[in-house]
Amino acid sequence: MKKILLSLCVALLCGGSLRAQSNYSNRQQLAQRVNTLAKSYPQYVKTQSLAKTVGGSDIWMVTIGTGQTDQKPAIAVVGGVEGKHLLGVELAIGFAEKLLAGAVADSVRQLLDEQTFYVFPNMSPDATEQYFAALQYERSGNANKADYDRDGQTGEDGYDDLDGDGKITFVRVEDATGTHILNPDDPRSLIPADLAKGQAGQYLLFAEGIDNDKDGQFNEDGEEGIHFNKNATYRYRNFLPGAGEHAVSEVENRALFDFLYDAFNVYAVVAFGPYNNLSTPEQVGRSGGDEQPQLGRRPGGRKITSWSAQDAKANVFVSEQYNKITGTTGAPKTVAGEGSFAEWAYYHYGRFSFSTPGWWVPSVKADSTGRARGMGSSASDPVGAYLKWAASEGITNNFTEWKAIEHPDFPGKRVEVGGIHPFVLTNPPYALVDGIVGKHTDFVIALAGMAPKVDVLDLKTEKLDNGLTRVSLKVFNSGLLPNLTQVGERSYFLKRIAVNVQTTGNQQVLSGRKSQTLDAIGGRETVELSWLVQGSGKLSIKAGSVSSGTKTVEVTL
Amino acid sequence: MTKSKKYILTLSVMMTMALMAMAQKPENILAAAGSPPNPKVPISWNRYHDNTALEEICRKMVAAHPGLVSMASIGKSVEGRELWMLTITDREQGSADRKPAAYIDGGIHANEIQGVEFALYIAWYVTEMHAAGNPFFKQLLAEKTFYIAPSINPDSRDHFIHNPNTQNSSRSGQKPVDNDRDGLVDEDDFDDLNGDGHITQMRRKSPYGEYVLDPQDPKRLIPAGEGQKGEYELLGYEGIDNDGDGLVNEDGAGGYDPNRDWGWNWQPNYIQGGAYKYPFSLPENRAVADFFLSHPNIGAAQSFHNTGGLLLRGPGAQEDEPNFTRDDIAVYDALGKKGEELIPGYRYIVTYKDLYSVYGGEFDWMHGARGVFAMSNELWNANFYFNRQQGGGRSQADQYLFDQYLMFGDGFVEWKPYNHPQYGEIEIGGFKKNYGRLHPGFLLESDAHRNASFVIYHAYHTPKVAVADVEVVDAGGGLKQVTAVIKNERIIPTHSAHDIAHKIEVPDVVSLSGGTVVAGMVVENRDLGITTEQRNDPANIKVSNIPSNGITTVRWLVKGGDKFTVTVDSKKGGTASKSL
Repeated sequence: MKKILLSLCVALLCGGSLRAQSNYSNRQQLAQRVNTLAKSYPQYVKTQSLAKTVGGSDIWMVTIGTGQTDQKPAIAVVGGVEGKHLLGVELAIGFAEKLLAGAVADSVRQLLDEQTFYVFPNMSPDATEQYFAALQYERSGNANKADYDRDGQTGEDGYDDLDGDGKITFVRVEDATGTHILNPDDPRSLIPADLAKGQAGQYLLFAEGIDNDKDGQFNEDGEEGIHFNKNATYRYRNFLPGAGEHAVSEVENRALFDFLYDAFNVYAVVAFGPYNNLSTPEQVGRSGGDEQPQLGRRPGGRKITSWSAQDAKANVFVSEQYNKITGTTGAPKTVAGEGSFAEWAYYHYGRFSFSTPGWWVPSVKADSTGRARGMGSSASDPVGAYLKWAASEGITNNFTEWKAIEHPDFPGKRVEVGGIHPFVLTNPPYALVDGIVGKHTDFVIALAGMAPKVDVLDLKTEKLDNGLTRVSLKVFNSGLLPNLTQVGERSYFLKRIAVNVQTTGNQQVLSGRKSQTLDAIGGRETVELSWLVQGSGKLSIKAGSVSSGTKTVEVTL
Repeated sequence: MTKSKKYILTLSVMMTMALMAMAQKPENILAAAGSPPNPKVPISWNRYHDNTALEEICRKMVAAHPGLVSMASIGKSVEGRELWMLTITDREQGSADRKPAAYIDGGIHANEIQGVEFALYIAWYVTEMHAAGNPFFKQLLAEKTFYIAPSINPDSRDHFIHNPNTQNSSRSGQKPVDNDRDGLVDEDDFDDLNGDGHITQMRRKSPYGEYVLDPQDPKRLIPAGEGQKGEYELLGYEGIDNDGDGLVNEDGAGGYDPNRDWGWNWQPNYIQGGAYKYPFSLPENRAVADFFLSHPNIGAAQSFHNTGGLLLRGPGAQEDEPNFTRDDIAVYDALGKKGEELIPGYRYIVTYKDLYSVYGGEFDWMHGARGVFAMSNELWNANFYFNRQQGGGRSQADQYLFDQYLMFGDGFVEWKPYNHPQYGEIEIGGFKKNYGRLHPGFLLESDAHRNASFVIYHAYHTPKVAVADVEVVDAGGGLKQVTAVIKNERIIPTHSAHDIAHKIEVPDVVSLSGGTVVAGMVVENRDLGITTEQRNDPANIKVSNIPSNGITTVRWLVKGGDKFTVTVDSKKGGTASKSL
């Protein structure tokens, strides 16, 4: 009783501090929130810094569960997948906070007895710090040194705050060779000139800065390093700015992947990042992807470049749940970039991988650029769409009016600085965050309810002559998700369901294997097994895997 | 320590060593042509050295050739063994890291143990020949550096040497892996049932067998002929079903392939068998990669493997064909065809087309990510038993014959009965782990030398840049026109075509000092006066490449000055200058 009161008080206190939160968290505040979880819920929470980044930030891991957490089916929840997406950090740490605050409810307590959650609130902590820095700009790269333009120098041409407002916005130059025109619906915003419509560009448009190294490019090699979301192995591309010297070259990726590869209990990954396969599920056999080799002996397996029918079917109902629980609509179509985390989690890590940015600029009606019909607003002019939405919501302080300056690279030309503020297109005003986090927490809990789960049904013993018994049963996946994805079936970093017959006394198994492993079992599907056993007394049969639970049945011959 | 004291100490060390080395006095010896007449570090090249012996030899080389050889650990293996790197160059003639360099390694596949000896042989040969005063090596080590990592999978090397193994185990490192995915790691390895230190074969007499004894040699089983009744069945390598899952030897030590772990075109294990978690997820390879990345002077690389008598180049996978373009292939062809001449019986081939596909292989990373001309040598070929082309199962018969008549049975464990817990009465026997994929002892030194000569040829042809010519003419208006021709006297360019396409290495810089540079340019065609101006920093002209056996020409317009120095600085080509 005392314990309950105490945890209630703690929960209330936490709630109090949460309400006090008025902005996204910097690394000290995140560390504090992580520590608060550990202190408030010692029975459920273990926290650990997996690594220190080059910039001196911690890569936090919050393990939520009970008992032997590494022996229970688990979901990995990952935030900060993209450094400029601060909401992703909130969604991950906020999930942990709300899940635990809800642990007073029986249903959540039962979930924490059965499953484990690994929460990695921020995989891009060096980059997200830029939001809180004296000079604010959208940053994806860590603090490692990188040579984006491959000229032998690092960080020699970053942004420059030409108007001294502490934010990197944009520069537009009136120029006969311009690539952009003013958006006729909102001249504060610029859109690409469309030659097919006979539009002649009037403005050059680029991020605020000058050509510091006089190589003809603007801001192409600033101080930011490698992107977490470009550094994974699936569709990794060498030499891409921000991708790193090779796949998984960075401390952040290595720390997470080393942990995850050894976490055999993980059956699904939820990534809060730019890619979205929750609003709209993955398509089976989508075109594109890598060509299969034609010549030469194959190295073993076929490359997998799309979700299998069985996995995509699971994505369909997960997606339906997502849309229903979060109430979100009109999400813009996204394409996962090269070396992205979300695709790695399915195609190489072999787990169900679900990803969402959690928020996007709500849809508005098509404007006269005419390209918005039936699509998310950001498909046409994201800035125009945002400004329209922000105005309707009374949101301000998100745009700097264009103001003429002298620019050393364009002497004698009309150059203006201004435009949309960094971060506002992908991160909602903080007042909206709590509601978004709440809905996404409910979704992740619902996803956990679909977990693959091994059960044993229809256990039968048939006496044959002369002390012989036929034992048969069905191994049943009572969850909705298959216990292994198509990749999981083939990768040795995932465990198959093992079935072991434990005999006693002088029992002999005359047919059927005493120990075997099974191919993937789809959601709500079964596999039938039988054995011929000679002898009498008790024996037990154990079926399961670390990512889908274990069931043991006792048999008396 | 004073100079003279140091000298005395060195002298006494040398004398002690010389005493140890000289069981026979030099005056009683006539050198065999091409071999060091009186090596400071005597080594028997007809046996294998474990990591302890290897380290001892490396230390002796450092002590015997203090101006040439240094050694350092570049990292630690999974089990904590040091990864030794020998750096070999004439340090009086310039620092190792500024000279064009060749990188050599051995033993990434630890069962392929002769590769380590071959890598070590190169270190030994170039230093001993240098010490003997051979003019070629005096010049070679003045100009070039050899980075030699003889044993880059040391855990499994010691495992192979000291523990029972087959000829094929252990290719992996020693990080435990659950190969059969049952939740247990390395729980069902081979078992040395007869306790002889070798994992050989199990065979059983059986009326249903497919084999009969070879009437020529009853040690050997051959398939029963048409209408003939089989008498034996083969049961695989020595072992039992340790974990009772109905499979024998299915989850042994390690269980991955270190040569599928490199950061180019990497694919996971379900596509590329043997891959581990991600590129350089194995500490041994990561150490090599880190070394490579911090030594941009490496322009050539070779790795030793077995078997088949092959000189391999990339690409390892067909998808990588676009990264092997004409100019780069011409360089590989020039090297590979020379290799075929120097090592008769070895064939120069393209890995994915002529052997098999590999994702994440070592030389693909070196070529693809670092622009280095990298190859690997598959050592030993069964054709060499009796110098004949093999075919139709002949090679196995030759292996028996060779064992009988040239090794006097030393390569074979005689079949002996054994009572197996699962198979009952069987026989155990067959070829030892050190015969089949490995050279017979007396052929080791000969093949080591031929492969070394190919590596030395490859190293010799790393770029050699020179300022060939500087011309100053009056350009009118008080300006002088200074034109410099930079040449590369070797086969390997300072930048591969693939490197240029992706800007892997920074450009070579040609600088002018003397006078005030008003403008600088790369000369595209000197006769027709076609140039491309470099607007920024014109005194230091960046050139994308100094081509294979070719020249690059640059020009400045200069105010004042009457003495000019042109300097070229190339990461892979070294430095050179000329004054006028």
